[in-house]
Amino acid sequence: MNVAQQLVNGLVIGSGFACVALGWTILLGAARLVNFAHGQMYMLAAFICWFALTRWGLDFTAAAVVAVLAMGVLGILMQSAMSQLVVSQNLTSLMIVTLGFGYMIQGAAGLGFGGSPHALASPADKVQYQIGGIWFTGQDLIIVTVTLALYAGVWLLLNRTRQGAMVRAIAEDPKLAQIFGINTWLVYVAVFMLEAVLVAIAAVLVAPKTPILTSMGFEEVIMTFVVVVLGGVGNVGGALVAGLALGIFTAFFGALVSPAYTTAASFAVLLAFLTLRPEGFSFR
Amino acid sequence: MTEHSMALDAPAARRSPRHPAIRALAVAAAVALAYWLPSWLGGSPLTYGFFVTLAIFSVMAVGVDIVLSYLGEVSLGHTIFWAIGGYSAAILSTSWDANGWITAATAVGLAVLAAAFLGWATLKTREFVFSLATYAAAVVAGEIAFNTDALGGSDGIVGIPALRLPLGFAEFSGRSNQELWPLALLLLVLSIYFVDRFRRSRLGTEALMVQMNPPLAIASGLDIRKVRFRVFVVSAPITALAGWLYGYQRAYVGPDMFDMYFLTLMLTAVIVVGRRVLLGPLIGVALILLQQNYFSIGGDGNKVVLGAVLAFVLIVWPQGLAGLARRIWRARAQPRS
Repeated sequence: MNVAQQLVNGLVIGSGFACVALGWTILLGAARLVNFAHGQMYMLAAFICWFALTRWGLDFTAAAVVAVLAMGVLGILMQSAMSQLVVSQNLTSLMIVTLGFGYMIQGAAGLGFGGSPHALASPADKVQYQIGGIWFTGQDLIIVTVTLALYAGVWLLLNRTRQGAMVRAIAEDPKLAQIFGINTWLVYVAVFMLEAVLVAIAAVLVAPKTPILTSMGFEEVIMTFVVVVLGGVGNVGGALVAGLALGIFTAFFGALVSPAYTTAASFAVLLAFLTLRPEGFSFR
Repeated sequence: MTEHSMALDAPAARRSPRHPAIRALAVAAAVALAYWLPSWLGGSPLTYGFFVTLAIFSVMAVGVDIVLSYLGEVSLGHTIFWAIGGYSAAILSTSWDANGWITAATAVGLAVLAAAFLGWATLKTREFVFSLATYAAAVVAGEIAFNTDALGGSDGIVGIPALRLPLGFAEFSGRSNQELWPLALLLLVLSIYFVDRFRRSRLGTEALMVQMNPPLAIASGLDIRKVRFRVFVVSAPITALAGWLYGYQRAYVGPDMFDMYFLTLMLTAVIVVGRRVLLGPLIGVALILLQQNYFSIGGDGNKVVLGAVLAFVLIVWPQGLAGLARRIWRARAQPRS
């Protein structure tokens, strides 16, 4: 086994995990909203990109922009539909509603794009680099750099801007924030739109690495769960570290033990964390 | 402690003000009616198939109902118990020629073990972390079933023989949906009876108190984690028995038992009618299956319908159809008083 190669692979996989988890982390931190449709939104973004690429003949960047914009609109629509539940912080119902949305998106994507697998061909995936015996593609390079840039951008947005302060105020105490004149409804919509846009960016970056299927959504989010819980719920920096660590763990587990059981192994890590960490991750 | 349980018991008791004998008679009549219903509706294999599936899915949903209604938690891991039931029936009957009692006992035992493990591992979690962990467990269990040859791998296990239940003097056999129907109905009646007992039981009232008012529960000396753990473990074998019968009905089990469809179905069935309604899971499953069997718009279209119903009901009528009915009833009763 080439340790350096696996380390690079792990870094790329981990950046992918972290990238997919970013939108959800913000959503969870700001609105305490668990979006079970996250995986389906990832799938839908990948398929919109694929559709614009193959049916409309756009180039990859333009198709990616179409997917990101479409998901932004969908995010606004979804949040508007459930704004009452978000404002009243009815978390159990919200969770089930997003599950319903996810199932709807999956069915609609099945109707629109069919059930067969497709390849989302990114030109950057064909560019190969070799440095000191370590192979990686242009797509890998883009995934790592864009993920790091997105995390830096989100961190600055949340911690260094007035808008970010509003989001943090609402996360702390929605009612008090409202008294201080913050339009919570608008902030929730903005946060959910950000979640949708970020998951779309993640999809156009990460989805080219594997075949895309309309049924892939539910499996796709499982790593997001692990990343979000391990990183500390709603913790942006924690999600990046957890994502990268999980990616490296996955790469080595796949190379040393078995690639078929990597999800199971990651879940075992999650369970160990949940049971061993004295305080657990229970909230409130 | 008894004070609290009595106070919590009040709404349940209020619902059955009639004499117990009359109530028992009404239940017996309803069960008899249900028993004859498929044959009155023509008695075709398709009709019996519909009713057996209805009973099986309702029992499956009852397991989720117990956790969702009485504990207030969303378990996304119940497909594990559902699959444990199916795989127990499949593996033991095809490889060891075991009869239905043995496969059922194994299904119940394994489901309790799995629930105890999962419940222990998620003991410190609540709300969405609990849901995430149970969901992740289900996905992982599905992946293991998909990749393990001893469990049939991605093909699953085909050729499950007809269900045999030796009764000493005779033998029950379920070679067709028509033959399975009495057993499916019995399982459904027993599971509903169980919920009825459960919500009057000490554990049931404790669970409600833990859900409604955790500080009060702690002040009454309850160990919240213990209550949550017990309720979770109690709910598992019910869903497992449904999966057990489903394996015999289809004569096949596979990793598709972990499909999101079953999870969405269980949750929607409970949500549509409303939480804490005794017959809620049954009525919910009936509505969903009627749509999918007689007003189907294709597999993907039905997914859109099921997902939309789930989201729509929670957004518009959070209390479900039962809550809507209560509201209409009150609005009509108001002018009189």
